[in-house]
Amino acid sequence: MKDFNALVTEHFKIAAESISDTLSAKDIPEWDSMNYLLFIADVEKEYSVSFTMDEVLGAQTLGDIKNMLRAKSITI
Amino acid sequence: MTEAQDRAFDSFEVGEEASFERTISTDDVAAFAELTGDHNPLHMDDAYAQATNFGSRVVHGMFLAGLVSRLVGMQIPGKRALLMKESLEFKKPVHIGDRVHVEGVVTHTSPATHSIELGIQISVKGELVATGQVQVQVRAE
Repeated sequence: MKDFNALVTEHFKIAAESISDTLSAKDIPEWDSMNYLLFIADVEKEYSVSFTMDEVLGAQTLGDIKNMLRAKSITI
Repeated sequence: MTEAQDRAFDSFEVGEEASFERTISTDDVAAFAELTGDHNPLHMDDAYAQATNFGSRVVHGMFLAGLVSRLVGMQIPGKRALLMKESLEFKKPVHIGDRVHVEGVVTHTSPATHSIELGIQISVKGELVATGQVQVQVRAE
């Protein structure tokens, strides 16, 4: 399983040392609507979870997405 | 088949398959070269290709990628498809006259993004020539 930051790096093309929970679409040029959906689908697959559309649309930051995983009992 | 399948996201399940076959002709390769401007001699020049390790003209890899587009746009998911990502690894050359079998299997469904992931296998006479993955959104319409 790839870790969360590896998925972030792969999809959003940012260096691992630059990743923080507060990063959002405003901070990450590669975070467009299509890439975000690809990222979410990959996160679901890697962690074997399913999000709802409301959860996905409500997430604003990388930290929000990590919290979505924690809410599904994923240790991250 | 000229009419695309029309199915909603909820109707797709992991493990579902779709496929088709097509024999690739000289005219197909010429049309693809004309359309894209890729007239590389390995694809277009018999004498050049015969002098290489390949022995005869090689079909453009992106022609095979185009056949994946057909699979996605017409069959699985079909009419509501919005192709988001496609990756292919070419394992063996395909030559003019080969009959390719293009197959997709649903490997993941994401209700949150209304997208499905397909594992792609392209083969000739049962031998894999390309493998890959596509991510496709199934639009609600």
